Amino acid sequence: MKSVSIRAAVLVFGLWLAAPAEAATAEAGDVAWWLWPLGLFAFSFLLGIVAVVAGVGGGVLFVPLVGGFFPFHIDFVRGAGLLLALSGALSATPALLRNGLASLRLAMPLALVGSITSIGGALIGFALPTNVVQTALGLTILAIAALMWIAGRSDHPQVPAQDPLGAAFRMHGIYHDPAAGRDVEWRVHRTPAGLVAFAGIGVLAGMFGLGAGWANIPVLNLLMGAPLKLSVGTSAFLLTVIDTSAAWIYIHRGAVLPMLVAPTIVGVMLGAKIGARLLRIAPARVVRRVVLTLLLVAGVRAVLKGLGIWN
Amino acid sequence: MQVSDEQRVYARWLDWTARIGVAVLAGAFLVYAFGFVEPQIALERLPGLWSLPLERYLELTGAPTGWQWLHFLDKGEYLCLIGVGLLGLATLVCYLRIGILLLRQRERLQAAIVALQILVLLAAAANLFTAGH
Repeated sequence: MKSVSIRAAVLVFGLWLAAPAEAATAEAGDVAWWLWPLGLFAFSFLLGIVAVVAGVGGGVLFVPLVGGFFPFHIDFVRGAGLLLALSGALSATPALLRNGLASLRLAMPLALVGSITSIGGALIGFALPTNVVQTALGLTILAIAALMWIAGRSDHPQVPAQDPLGAAFRMHGIYHDPAAGRDVEWRVHRTPAGLVAFAGIGVLAGMFGLGAGWANIPVLNLLMGAPLKLSVGTSAFLLTVIDTSAAWIYIHRGAVLPMLVAPTIVGVMLGAKIGARLLRIAPARVVRRVVLTLLLVAGVRAVLKGLGIWN
Repeated sequence: MQVSDEQRVYARWLDWTARIGVAVLAGAFLVYAFGFVEPQIALERLPGLWSLPLERYLELTGAPTGWQWLHFLDKGEYLCLIGVGLLGLATLVCYLRIGILLLRQRERLQAAIVALQILVLLAAAANLFTAGH
């Protein structure tokens, strides 16, 4: 089964290399229309594998890379990126909630703030000129790469005392850590700061269609003191709410093209299944470095495109 | 391990609504891409259109905005939007379901948060934020 998966991955990778390369050499009018969705499907499939192995959401790689190297306008790429992040999170969240690896009570107040600001972010994104959005996207991606590089993670952060707001929201509980084989009691602190952070995360998620796992997890884990595994699971839940609000703005504006969205979602979901199988054998550290490199390339490309230096 | 009742219920409802949304989207896309239903915009025209800014794309194609796409469900691309719309409604449906549960449990603060979230999602889905643009 594993060899079939790897062969499928190689085949799709070949298609991805072949399709856009062939298409790019010809005039837009000469290219069969289906080559681009096929290339997008293949790219998304690979992205699904890499995202799972590297432990990042797909949107943060999808938007800058597809926006930078495919012919689709950034308005449509942002819409597809948001729906990609949303559908991935919708698929993962039920199991996380059932297993206690995501907390509804921890997430709901943060999701409310993030969803309101994500609507604002989406509206700002449509109001700004394309080159400004493109440049800001590039700078944001470079900042995310830096954050991923320097930010630490803490499996079980120390929370000396819960703040009154966190206590009122009942942001505490117990989850079972299967790796440690024990129940872990948790609570959070700095809830007001967490709410402010999620207001900012919502704006960026809505404006660039990035999803926001890259920011959710450090805020939950490092700022608010939630255990790492609970932060990862709760982040997925948060994405379902924050991205849903912004997604409606993109849908109503007409920025959701099914020819981009459907191959993207199906490709990432299939890729994620193979990524989950490869997770045990893939060299996660190497993959993470590849992801950081891709983010740097995509960020620089977006900045240069936004500034009109490399179109 | 503590998993609250509302969390269990939310998980069950989200699982089904998300599955239905993805299945409908994938099915509708096959119908659209293989030409079983005529699209509003010919597929061959797409490479000349998807590189344009949104405003220009809308000008050239007359593509609907807001909920107007519901009038075009006989066209392949708008059939796909049913799946996208279902994905967009999944969270709202789950919040509505647990809102009832929290009210029954007299969890007033949690119920208030759920009610506010429902209002935000409803306003976004109802196109209150983009209408008039």
